[in-house]
Amino acid sequence: MSHQLLVAVLILSPLIGFLLNGVRFKHTNYIAAGAIATTAVFISFICSVLLFLDLVNAPENQRTIAVGFYEWFSVDKFSINAGFVVDQISSIMILIITGVGSLIHLFSIGYMHHDKGVTKYFAYLNLFVFNMLLLVLGDSLLTMFVGWEGVGLCSYLLIGFWFNDAAKAAAGMKAFITNRIGDAAFIIGMFILFFTFGTLNIHELNALAPTTMEASWLGAVTLGTLMLFIGATGKSAQIPLYVWLPDAMAGPTPVSALIHAATMVTAGVYMIVRLNPLFVMAPNTMMVIAVIGAATAVMAATIGLTQYDIKKVLAYSTVSQLGYMFLAVGVGAFGAGMFHLMTHAFFKALMFLGSGSVIHGMHEEQDIRKMGGLKKYMPITHITFVMGWLAIIGTPPFSGFFSKDEILWQAYSSPRGHVLLWVAGAIGAGLTAFYMTRLMALTFWGTSRVDKHVHPHESGSLMTIPLIVLAVLSVIGGWIGIPHVIGESLGHIPNYWEHWLSPLIAKMPEVAAAGEHAAHSAVEEWLLMGASVSIAGISVLTACLMYLKNTDAPKKVSDAFGPVYKAVYNKYFVDEFYFASLINPLIKGSRNLWYYVDVNVIDKATYKTTDLVRGGGSFVRSLQNGNMQQYALYVIAGAAITLSLVLMR
Amino acid sequence: MTADAFLFWFLAALTIVSALSVVLMTNPIYSALSLAMTMVSVAAIFVTLQAYFLAGVQIIVYAGAVMVLFVMVLMLFDLKHELQAFTRGRFSGAFKIASIGSLAGLLVGAMYTANVLTVPEAASVANTTPKGAITPLAEELFLRNVFGFEALGVLLLVIAVGTVALSRSKGGTHARH
Amino acid sequence: MPDISILTTITPNHYLVLSACLFMIGVAGVLLRRNLIVLFMSIELMLNAVNLSFVTFSHSFGKVDGQVMVFFVMTIAAAEAAVGLALAVSIFKRFKEVNIRFFEHLKG
Repeated sequence: MSHQLLVAVLILSPLIGFLLNGVRFKHTNYIAAGAIATTAVFISFICSVLLFLDLVNAPENQRTIAVGFYEWFSVDKFSINAGFVVDQISSIMILIITGVGSLIHLFSIGYMHHDKGVTKYFAYLNLFVFNMLLLVLGDSLLTMFVGWEGVGLCSYLLIGFWFNDAAKAAAGMKAFITNRIGDAAFIIGMFILFFTFGTLNIHELNALAPTTMEASWLGAVTLGTLMLFIGATGKSAQIPLYVWLPDAMAGPTPVSALIHAATMVTAGVYMIVRLNPLFVMAPNTMMVIAVIGAATAVMAATIGLTQYDIKKVLAYSTVSQLGYMFLAVGVGAFGAGMFHLMTHAFFKALMFLGSGSVIHGMHEEQDIRKMGGLKKYMPITHITFVMGWLAIIGTPPFSGFFSKDEILWQAYSSPRGHVLLWVAGAIGAGLTAFYMTRLMALTFWGTSRVDKHVHPHESGSLMTIPLIVLAVLSVIGGWIGIPHVIGESLGHIPNYWEHWLSPLIAKMPEVAAAGEHAAHSAVEEWLLMGASVSIAGISVLTACLMYLKNTDAPKKVSDAFGPVYKAVYNKYFVDEFYFASLINPLIKGSRNLWYYVDVNVIDKATYKTTDLVRGGGSFVRSLQNGNMQQYALYVIAGAAITLSLVLMR
Repeated sequence: MTADAFLFWFLAALTIVSALSVVLMTNPIYSALSLAMTMVSVAAIFVTLQAYFLAGVQIIVYAGAVMVLFVMVLMLFDLKHELQAFTRGRFSGAFKIASIGSLAGLLVGAMYTANVLTVPEAASVANTTPKGAITPLAEELFLRNVFGFEALGVLLLVIAVGTVALSRSKGGTHARH
Repeated sequence: MPDISILTTITPNHYLVLSACLFMIGVAGVLLRRNLIVLFMSIELMLNAVNLSFVTFSHSFGKVDGQVMVFFVMTIAAAEAAVGLALAVSIFKRFKEVNIRFFEHLKG
């Protein structure tokens, strides 16, 4: 099959699924809806695999499949094609989206089978996959932006899927509006880049990137990339726009797994990696990205320590892990960022689906204080969840270990890195290990606190099969990117990942200047690796002690830290701060505008205009009153006027 | 005051008064009679202008045929004195009268300022044909304007047919068959 | 003694002014009256006024063209009266009324 056809099928298959389910959205047959949607995404997955195999078989310097379909629009010399690019970066992304997406679709059939809006749900889910593919494959920033907006829309629709609940509908709106703020910055970023380089095509932009670093804060590249990054903070839930993601847990759990863990929220990271030659030349932007990434990683992790809603814990964990990815791209380790993106997609999707399975088995209970001891009721969910847990806390040789360790090492050793960034990352890793262990202990281990009339049960095979597949991926997913030091000592296992991505990753000028000689020794890397693993280990032990042995210890600790604990439990009052500082003044200002400007000026102006037109119209109409004599009068008056004009001349 | 002048003023007054009564009489039959009076006095004015043939035609065609037609139709309608003979609306009525008056004043003013008849007055002296003779009119009508004359004949025929057709139709112009 | 030559010497202009007055009386009738028949009469008045000015010009130019034109006008006036009255009869048959305030169908 030609590449063009493959890409067309890849992109259009979910769209067709969306249309098929969309036109019959009132049906409640979950098997039909789920089969259509899952098949659509699975076809895309097959196309992705075929494309990926083609790329693998192609010579190393020809691993780019660019297909164009038609000219979308053109203005003067500026033209945008409906063009798509499958290369080393986007092929990984489409594999994740369609692969993990297929599993989540499959899971959803089991999870949503009792819901009345199941067909609508699957239609939205397919529309999301379509938009996500558009975002990932688009060959220009504008095409990417269409998908970027599209996934935002689907996210809104799916978060507010149970819109009869006002809080859930509000969560959807919060997500949408917060994303819009980022999107506005994204658009400005596009303007700046277009103004500077005269193109929005990603390939051309990367080729046109300056060859020297831009030191100024106000340089075009720095400003443009900074704006794009602000757009990314909206989509990928970073400080200061992360507030929507925890609320987004109002949606169905598989949605959280697909959109708010595996795919959409990683769009910001993907965008930066896509444009890495530009970002590399803007060290100031990179510094901002790294600092914000590290800060988000630590802050979200601390909030995660105190939450009791199983999905909220995972949500803050996601924010924190996304912070790691930004930390990675911020220090120039684009490959490591993408690597963590992939492993995180595996283990976080697994954990979200696992939590979905738990919630399903517990009859919609989400509070981990009312769980405990679920190990014996849900063996498969428990085992797979353990795999995810081991991966996220960075246990060797699970996937999370390799990606997280790569990020931490790069944060320390990269020319753009700093020891403080490593410290922040390590603290975040410790906190992550702690709250994930706490989650495990409260949910699956220890004594049961389940209500008497709730009978937990294991989910059906439709739900457990995706869990098992994702668990396997979480274990082995990291083995394709084994760091050099470990690879060497295990007998020359190459780092496939780095090798695969390297043609598209721009070298930092500092590295190019220093040559290939590593400035840091392998001993250092081993030391740091050991340090981070032991921090995680200590955290796990502490958490086990606190939540399994001395079950009153958590209370003591939280009492000891009184106000601090309260602040963290209430998410540092960030939402309240936003309301007090931005949203309420905005609402007040808008209301004043409405009361005074809109009602008095704009409304009155329009009313006066309509009155004028209506008055003029009725006057003219009264001239046309059907009275023939009146018409004769006009003739006579006209004659009199004409004659008087002639005489006056 | 010469006899000519006296005759003109007398006929002018008669024409104006009878024309005014056409417009002002509320009973249509009086209007019709006043119109006949106007026709006759206009015919008399034609005589003073030495258009004897036209004066005769005026009497026969207008005062005779057309007026009989009017009176016949009036008789058909059997209309009494009308309550609302004039249009309503004080403002529009005043406006109508004002525009009529101003147009009349302008016309008269135009005649005096343009002074259209000064030069040809001299030319008429050279005209040797005796005034009032019927031969030149006949020559004009039947030799030089014969086409128009014949066309008028056809027109009259068409009118006659059309009028008959109209009066035979049931329910007038808004009839639904 | 005031100049009374305007009264004693009759010029073609006198006839023209008379014609203008007659015409405007006709216009007044068309504008002000409501009876369809009277409207036709007023139109006849206007046509007569025009005839009068034609004859005046014919007389003062010493040519008969004007009289030929009057001849034509008279014919057409007769024809118009015939058609108009036939229409009036039709309208009367339908509406039992010839007052034009019932016929305001040309409303915009």
